[in-house]
Amino acid sequence: MSRGQWAKDLAMGVRFAFAGGREGWVRALLTAVGVGLGVALLLLTTAVPNMQSVRHERESARADIDYSYTDLKKSDRTLIVADVDTDFRNEDIRGRALEPEGARAPLPPGLEKFPAVGEMVVSPALKRLLESDGAKLLRERLPERIVGTIGESGLIGSHELAFFRGGDGLAPYIDGARVARIERFGDTSPTETQTDPVLLLLVIVVFVVLLMPVAVFIAAAVRFGGERRDRRLAALRLVGSDSRMTRRIAAGEALAGSVLGLVFGTGFFLIGRQIAGSVEVFDVSVFPSYLNPSPALALLVGLAVPAAAVLVTLFAMRGVVIEPLGVVRTAKPSRRRLWWRLLLPLGGLAMLWPMIGQGRDNGTFNEYLVIGGVLLLLIGVTTLLPWIVEAVVARLGSGGVAWQLAVRRLQLSSGTAARMVNGVAVAVAGAIALQMLFAGVESDYTKQSRYDTQRAQMQVSMSRGSQLDPAVEKFQDTKGVQQVYALAEGYLGERRKDPDMGAEMTVGDCASLRQAAKLPSCRDGDIFYVSNSEYDEDTPKLAKQPGRTLYLDPSYEGGPPRQEIAWTVPKGLKPARTQEDFMGMQRGGFLVTPKALPAAATPALQGQVFLKLDRSVPDAYDRVRNTATAADPLSYPMTWYSTQTADRYATIRTGLFVGAVCVMALIGASLLVSQLEQLRDRKKLLSSLVAFGTRRRTLSLSVLWQTAIPIALGLLLSSVVGLTLGAVLLRMTATPVMVDWTSMLSMTAVGAGIVLAVTLLSLPPLLRLMRPDGLRTE
Amino acid sequence: MTPPPGSLLAAQELRKAYGPTVALDGAEFSIHPGEVVAVMGPSGSGKSTLLHCLAGIVPPDSGSITYNGRELATMSDAQRSALRRSEFGFVFQFGQLVPELTCVENVALPLRLNGTSRKEAEKAALTWMERLEVDDLRKKRPGEVSGGQGQRVAVARALVTNPRVLFADEPTGALDSLNGERVMELLTDAARSTNAAVVLVTHEARVAAYSDREIVVRDGKSRDMERVV
Repeated sequence: MSRGQWAKDLAMGVRFAFAGGREGWVRALLTAVGVGLGVALLLLTTAVPNMQSVRHERESARADIDYSYTDLKKSDRTLIVADVDTDFRNEDIRGRALEPEGARAPLPPGLEKFPAVGEMVVSPALKRLLESDGAKLLRERLPERIVGTIGESGLIGSHELAFFRGGDGLAPYIDGARVARIERFGDTSPTETQTDPVLLLLVIVVFVVLLMPVAVFIAAAVRFGGERRDRRLAALRLVGSDSRMTRRIAAGEALAGSVLGLVFGTGFFLIGRQIAGSVEVFDVSVFPSYLNPSPALALLVGLAVPAAAVLVTLFAMRGVVIEPLGVVRTAKPSRRRLWWRLLLPLGGLAMLWPMIGQGRDNGTFNEYLVIGGVLLLLIGVTTLLPWIVEAVVARLGSGGVAWQLAVRRLQLSSGTAARMVNGVAVAVAGAIALQMLFAGVESDYTKQSRYDTQRAQMQVSMSRGSQLDPAVEKFQDTKGVQQVYALAEGYLGERRKDPDMGAEMTVGDCASLRQAAKLPSCRDGDIFYVSNSEYDEDTPKLAKQPGRTLYLDPSYEGGPPRQEIAWTVPKGLKPARTQEDFMGMQRGGFLVTPKALPAAATPALQGQVFLKLDRSVPDAYDRVRNTATAADPLSYPMTWYSTQTADRYATIRTGLFVGAVCVMALIGASLLVSQLEQLRDRKKLLSSLVAFGTRRRTLSLSVLWQTAIPIALGLLLSSVVGLTLGAVLLRMTATPVMVDWTSMLSMTAVGAGIVLAVTLLSLPPLLRLMRPDGLRTE
Repeated sequence: MTPPPGSLLAAQELRKAYGPTVALDGAEFSIHPGEVVAVMGPSGSGKSTLLHCLAGIVPPDSGSITYNGRELATMSDAQRSALRRSEFGFVFQFGQLVPELTCVENVALPLRLNGTSRKEAEKAALTWMERLEVDDLRKKRPGEVSGGQGQRVAVARALVTNPRVLFADEPTGALDSLNGERVMELLTDAARSTNAAVVLVTHEARVAAYSDREIVVRDGKSRDMERVV
């Protein structure tokens, strides 16, 4: 066989793909849209690694405060940066105050010049927010004049809220943690972060689970119009094509559809890429330029999709003998064998089994084994389902006419029915497993915070040495604040430098100190020592040495010079008993009322303000943040939650649910197309059934049964596979296996709902097709 | 408009158009119980449309159709469907058997649609299959039998309800002459034995020869033919 003949046959197939007038075009368009949606999703997936690395690079390039103290001297090349991050209605806002110390101070990425004091350069998203009607409170907190916009290179996402403002007098606050002197931006010692193996597992399974149904969808899309194509090929056989030629022509048709699908997919992807720039998911936004697929992976998609289309077509034609006088399907297909179908899921389990009990601390999971195992288990659904459908429908007894018509049709072509619901079954199985995994590990990633949110809901950390009393007054006057407690904290050492013994010093009025420890009695001027702190052995010893000099804020080797303020242990210290404070900590050390504190000690103390809020007051949290900024621009307000990260996990699970529903809706679309196609092919038969008096209700019910029986079996199988996979994944992470019935039932309900929707949507065309007009031949 | 006396099914002044195409233009028709009437004419002349109108499958644009004294136009769709289920039988050119049902289930289908139990319906179906010499095919599916056999199964299906009128639209159109003749013999014999009227649409003279009377449809108009013996 010459290459020329091959090419001619393929070209003829390509021509046939678009032939047949409007119907031909519609068929080609449907295939292309189906393949295109799958391709767009695949291209998006190939762009994800690049998106992550660009975000990481941008984050690295703008790194400034690295929480380490370096004794950098002031020069014309240095810049002082202060972290003035804030948040507004739970939206994080990255903020930096910049104080250049010379003409050659480094500019952060995204800025063309430094903002002066009283000026601010903001990200486009923050600019929009500040200009919006509801942002009055934020505008009060960020009153500086906006003089520019941060460029794309200074942002990690299109929706990032960020600002740079001019700073002044920041040098005394340099501590390496909130305020730092730097010579350049960028991470000087990037560290390879070890990915949490469980998170890696989640990511891998999410990708496999979401992409598998897409592959099933593409396979279904290239088979649109299959029956008509077979009849066309029969006509070609009549005029002399041999069976190999017809297969090549069929391959050409599939190729044309999938290549057009690639073009559509690229278009969908480019449109989606632009849209991606305007959305934010889980606080992550991207610029369209981030979403560049890796060339090698994009090429792989470009080659794999047409190749898969051709293979699927040829595979689908296995059971079909195209004769010159028509298409002959083996009337009684050979009975499906179970053994090799069982091998796939069992093989999948075998690949995952060695990783059971590995937990999350002992290194990483073998990602290839994970991908292979999950893939085999999910492919197992697609191979087992036809066998199960065949075995079950063969045993189904007779019922009414509608039931009989449906059961007989399923008995005759159970493979078609199983193929139609395969995608939904795979998506449901994967989603059940993932939801189980998420639900299982959620408790580990959701930490019950130690904070006592009954006593306080916010903490404001003031800058070192700032006066607390004026700040407390301002907080007390803030709308929504019910109670204010203020404690100033410091550390005492028995030497000026590198002390061996030490104790905390907490300063506050009696009411505030009572929140930190159990005091026998208290009036201003008293000093207490905590006598029974489990982790503080030094305080009781030091308390028994009145007259001994201790040093508040001692210095340490390698660190910045500290205050080293001398403080003498007074006589007659009262013992206090420890108790959990606002932060769930058992405090030790000396507890000092304001009158007992020497004035010189203030600069060595850091104020902490704890606030009890009336949460029914709108924007109480943001009002406190505004007060904090007004009292001390370098203060750091924090909102306390009783649990941490739970919300985020809930969001991810919701996202997963939405993703799975979208994938299933996509599959539902292909299900509808296949259903309509089958109905169109039976137009004449349906009309003749109506002609001899068959009720429309009977035929509609029969269509419903035809979809409902395989989907019920599919959902049953997918529940079993999903639960098994979920249990294995949980065992791999050494998490107790618990079935998340809510998500399982909701996923199953969505799958069933999609099939019901498909049936309902196919009813109007079914009723149209049942019109007696169908009997007309002219 | 009064139907001819003694007629079981009659149509007068029938008009039917599909868009700009006029299929029937004042066609007349009548048939008596036990009578076999062949409707002849070239392709596209309106034969099948006349059959579909007479059977209440397609409503005419104008004109009157009476069955057993009842005007079809006054019946609802459900009533006409019930009429087709219980009083009429149909045979089409390609059998139009339900491919997933076995032959006996296909034959039993009209009875089951009428509410007969499966067992009784299949028993009656088997009796008709024996009469049409296809009882050995009862467990086979339509895809496994020949065209002639399939058409005989379709005739059995049409007769199983003991219809008063049997509509046959080119029943031998897809068969060779030998098979075609056998099907016609069996069909007309069975109909006559039950006193059923047969409306036989065909364009083949040798098929029309099995009828008692011929009507020719041309350009939507019908005309009774004098039979030359």
